[in-house]
Amino acid sequence: MTAPAVGRYRIGVDIGGTFTDGTLVDSTTGRVTTSKVLSTPEDPAVGFISAVQKLLEMDDGIAPEAVEHVVHATTVATNAIIEGKTAKTAFITTEGFRDMLEIARQIRPSLYDLQFEKPRPLVPRQLCFEVPERLDAKGQVVTPLDDRAVAEVVDRIAESGVEAVAVCLLHSYRNPDHEQRVGRALRAKLPNVIISLSSDVVPEFREYLRASTTVINASVSPIVSTYLASISEKLRASGIGSELLVMQSNGGVYTAEAASRSPVFMVESGPAAGAVAAAALGSSLGYPNVISFDMGGTTAKASLIRNGKPHVTKDYSVGGVGQSGTGAFGGASGYPIRTTVVDLVEVGAGGGSIAWVDSGGALRVGPHSAGADPGPVCYGLGGTEPTITDANLVLGRLDPDYFAGGEMSLDLKAARVAIRTNCAEPLELSIEDAAHGIIEIANTAMVNALRLVSVQRGHDPRDFMLIGFGGAGPAHAIRIAEQTGIPRVLIPLGPGTASALGLLVTDMRMEGSATLIVRSDEVEPSRIASEFERLESAGKEAHRTAASASGDPVFERVVEMRYWGQSFELSVPAPDRPTIDDAWMSELIESFHEAHETAYGFRANDEPVELVNLRLTTVGKIARPRMRKLDATGTDASVASKGERPVYFAEDAANSGGAHSAGGARVAEIKGFVQTTVYDRAKLPAGAIFSGPAIVEEPDSTTVVHPAWSVTVDDYGNLTIEHSSNAHRSRKVAERR
Amino acid sequence: MAGDRPDQRIDPIQFEVVRSALTQVAEEMAVALRRSAYSTNVKTRQDFSCAYFDRDCRPIAQAFTQPVHLGSFVELIPASVKAYGADNLGPGDMLVVNNPFGGGTHLNDVTVFGPVHHNGELVGYVASLAHHVDVGGGAPASIGPFQEIFQEGVIIPPVKLVKNGKIREDVFKLLLAQIRSKRVTAGDFRAQVAANTVGARRLVDLVDKYGLPDFDRYVTAVIDYTDRRTRAEIAAIPDGVYKAEGFLDFDGFTDRVVKLKTKITIDGETAFFDFEGCDPQRRAPVNSTKAMTFSACAYALRALMAPDMPVNYGFYQHVRMNAPAGTVVHAVHPAPVVGGWETQVRINDLLFRALAPGMPEKIPAATKGMMAQAGFGIIDRVTGEYHCNYEALAGGYGARATSDGPDAVQQHGQNTENAPVEEIESHFPMRVTRLSLIEDSEGPGKFRGGLGMRRDYHFPDDPATFTILSDRDIAGPQGIFGGLAGRKAYYILNPDGPEGEVTELTSKCVIELKPGDTVSFQTPGGGGYGPPDERDPELVLRDVIGGKVNRERAREFYGVVVNERTNTIDEAATTEARKLIVSMRESNN
Repeated sequence: MTAPAVGRYRIGVDIGGTFTDGTLVDSTTGRVTTSKVLSTPEDPAVGFISAVQKLLEMDDGIAPEAVEHVVHATTVATNAIIEGKTAKTAFITTEGFRDMLEIARQIRPSLYDLQFEKPRPLVPRQLCFEVPERLDAKGQVVTPLDDRAVAEVVDRIAESGVEAVAVCLLHSYRNPDHEQRVGRALRAKLPNVIISLSSDVVPEFREYLRASTTVINASVSPIVSTYLASISEKLRASGIGSELLVMQSNGGVYTAEAASRSPVFMVESGPAAGAVAAAALGSSLGYPNVISFDMGGTTAKASLIRNGKPHVTKDYSVGGVGQSGTGAFGGASGYPIRTTVVDLVEVGAGGGSIAWVDSGGALRVGPHSAGADPGPVCYGLGGTEPTITDANLVLGRLDPDYFAGGEMSLDLKAARVAIRTNCAEPLELSIEDAAHGIIEIANTAMVNALRLVSVQRGHDPRDFMLIGFGGAGPAHAIRIAEQTGIPRVLIPLGPGTASALGLLVTDMRMEGSATLIVRSDEVEPSRIASEFERLESAGKEAHRTAASASGDPVFERVVEMRYWGQSFELSVPAPDRPTIDDAWMSELIESFHEAHETAYGFRANDEPVELVNLRLTTVGKIARPRMRKLDATGTDASVASKGERPVYFAEDAANSGGAHSAGGARVAEIKGFVQTTVYDRAKLPAGAIFSGPAIVEEPDSTTVVHPAWSVTVDDYGNLTIEHSSNAHRSRKVAERR
Repeated sequence: MAGDRPDQRIDPIQFEVVRSALTQVAEEMAVALRRSAYSTNVKTRQDFSCAYFDRDCRPIAQAFTQPVHLGSFVELIPASVKAYGADNLGPGDMLVVNNPFGGGTHLNDVTVFGPVHHNGELVGYVASLAHHVDVGGGAPASIGPFQEIFQEGVIIPPVKLVKNGKIREDVFKLLLAQIRSKRVTAGDFRAQVAANTVGARRLVDLVDKYGLPDFDRYVTAVIDYTDRRTRAEIAAIPDGVYKAEGFLDFDGFTDRVVKLKTKITIDGETAFFDFEGCDPQRRAPVNSTKAMTFSACAYALRALMAPDMPVNYGFYQHVRMNAPAGTVVHAVHPAPVVGGWETQVRINDLLFRALAPGMPEKIPAATKGMMAQAGFGIIDRVTGEYHCNYEALAGGYGARATSDGPDAVQQHGQNTENAPVEEIESHFPMRVTRLSLIEDSEGPGKFRGGLGMRRDYHFPDDPATFTILSDRDIAGPQGIFGGLAGRKAYYILNPDGPEGEVTELTSKCVIELKPGDTVSFQTPGGGGYGPPDERDPELVLRDVIGGKVNRERAREFYGVVVNERTNTIDEAATTEARKLIVSMRESNN
């Protein structure tokens, strides 16, 4: 494939709590270049643009006009919700329903907790307004909209000084007319205020879920659009005129313009990128079932990938507390949104998480993070509280002179002082024991996250491979695998920026849907055909405006169906027939019966079937960058050796045996500093093999290989790390089956 | 966790995996049930529960939906297996049962359960319970003031509904013939069968993976672990004898309140709940079955424990009680039991009230304290189909030692969602014309009770039968430690109608509505915690600005004076007002 002269490069930028990662791919050669800068929380756009500029300046410099597109993942929307910094927003609904957000679903987030709290509504009660109007369930007008009352409400909202207004009137998913009239009245009077109508954002029935989604959309929109506009402007200023795309929560991308209008689709943008990256990497290497473990400066995230696809959910709450037992229903904590989201568990344990001793004299790690500013003590930027990074440094797992590829040197002495003062002395421990305790406690939290996405969903982690990335991931992944019983770990090349790479291995996805809610025996096939045609032309149009980024559009057609009377639909792929006619319909209905039988164990042939939604996804395929093979080959790893240094390990047989004890391979008891070989990852040839304990260093990350694990370097430079009991265990599984 | 022999060791990782996988089985059952069900009560409100029992009928894992059901399962499954005979159940068979006097609750709660076999060997049982919107009897939705069990609907002893994986059509037809909402209820029954099928499939996978001996060993380990933790948790509750008395406001027929009495003894690792002294059972819908009362005790005990405590046989075996037969807390044949949950939930409030002096930091003031059940039936003018709807409404939660009681929320073992207005309007020719918080309904306190909730049902074009099964006609939920009571419940016909048409209804009634009528169901506010004049004035101000508490009330109960023009606290006037309240209180004492 020859790439056009213009549009040879693609850039992905992922802003985390601590670092902003940039990745540039040369689509002609598959060559990947990365950059990493400290995040700039007060204006994330500053970090964004410096990561991009750093990429352009690398090598001999890249002409900005040669950039095909820039894809961005950001947590700006989620952070606003979690930190309670959403825009001041008003809510308008049908008369009689002002308290829709207060009442929510009337349930408690935890069954046996007598001190529970309902999430505080994002719109305070004094900013919730009613307008006289009413539709019935068929969308017919029962009470006409009172325009005078609307004008009065609009006046009151104008006086209140809000930045956004969410409108959710009953049954507007059937007939948006009243909502649109309220929207027009608002826009006429408040041209600079964001207006979100529920019939635009998520035209689905069940008023509270639709209202909640709409309120979130409205209340983060001012923040997101200001932010994206600032980035676009800075990109243009640096000569990049191509499209800015944003990662959605479901793993697809959309344009910045669409993101500004509908930010609710990108609340989990950042985490989705990591899961997409892990899925793509696993699939390309022949491992469709992987657990993605992404540990950055502030948090660690785990998600489960089966058959090459990240697990997604529509029962999702933003700002919810991860809770066991909520199953697929989503908890009652947080704010529900009815958009598709990559299913992941996030815990507050990252490189910058602060270690402290609580009032009961227990050593704790997180959830507070030193973030990028002041950062860990060893950064020497003013931090005084010890962090996970400081502990890793004290244990010799990080090299003070080779952090960020030697661009930054770490202050070991300051880290030791901080751990001594804050942890070791209060607990009467040695500095090393305290540092090791910090790491083990943080690992436990991450192990729990892994269990939630695997064990709790009924999957045995031992059947999966762990992909560890994020700047801090490779230092912890192997120990966590050890504690979870995962036999194999993969550390991609450039783990610190792997998540940003996920931005470059996804497609443009634009979803359109039409609500039918009609029985199959009461709908003409021609109506379905014309609805699909309408969706297709809208999809083509949307694709055309964002065409620079992707190839010809491909359409995925799905019909969401249920037995008449049920409330949950099954998604059935539309039959692949040239025309939508009676035969098409019969095939569709048969597919539904089959899908129902697969899912629930029975089919009801005599029951009427209902077609609820037609869904058409316009996919603009984006060519995957080629993976680049390493030039050097050879089994001998010593060519990459940088020498040895003492690294602290503490693995008594019982501990490290833990999950792997079934295999019988025991590690001799180790506690203390061990002379450990340090490898330069850039010099490791494809095919190299070596055993732990070992340290592998590269500019953006350090991999800690524990004893009893052995490493193989694959053709593309990925490290595949296996527990020595692996072979034995595989045999045992085979026997059982 | 080491066993006697090396090969008997419990691997901690495998333990955790099996434990979670078992819960996951129950969760997946719940998902299948919910997603394939037809009635709003099941598919949206989640008025159902799923669980797995081992071959000795010990509860092992449950989906966390409705604790009231889960507690009652513990009685029902062993009793039903015993009654039917374990040997009479083959692979793919399922029983259906709702017999209140054989371990069941009220007739609406119908359980479908069956054995799970692995290579012909019994592994255990999977069970799903759903509150059906109608099971026949004297009123649509099968709730109302009845006087004996036979008026309440179809009584089902354990009978085989599914044989070898197929629903037995003759049994199913006989069952459905007793029921008004046939199509919807048939769908809900099929969903229960689907849930059990999914659960059985997943269990067989698990046993395949670990082998039956290992699987059994780990199931036992899960129970042992829970047993150890439960004993430690009970030991952490301060020893003592905790007593309380209370009453249910209205039995549906007489003006005699229903007396309830409890004595809880905590002694080391044991907890004992004694209900000696409760009123004899009545020919009125206020009788709780033994299983219902047991689930109240189980809930109260579990709520005092650490949040991550599992709930299975290892826990339930420590819930010990004396509920004398023939009383309102242990009804015997042929007492009506349809309103037993009203008594059950009030018992829960009572248990907490008893325990409060021993653990004031944990226990909330009185909650809604009623299930707040509303049902209606409409016959379709065109098709003649009989539609029924059932739901249970939220109310104010009791205030706690350090926080307000949340507004409009379910309480205790009840955690059903509200029926989305758009959903029920798409099923029935009716409209919900109001769903709101009830302003000024809170029980005042240093921390206030939650606000009650109002839901108005309007029937524009069709006659309908409306049924209410609820309580709190006389008094609102009590405050605690100086907190005041919340507003009581109201049930009003045509609340916005012209003078003379506004009629107050009782908490237990069946009424025939004519087209155009509206029923307003208004639930109580929660009780307050601590003296209201000690409330942080900023919190009072927040409530005034939000319109939850009006200015007069702020001054009268909380002694906080809010300036009408500036919406700020008038400090001087507040100091004065609070002085007055304190001196009045002292002179009353």
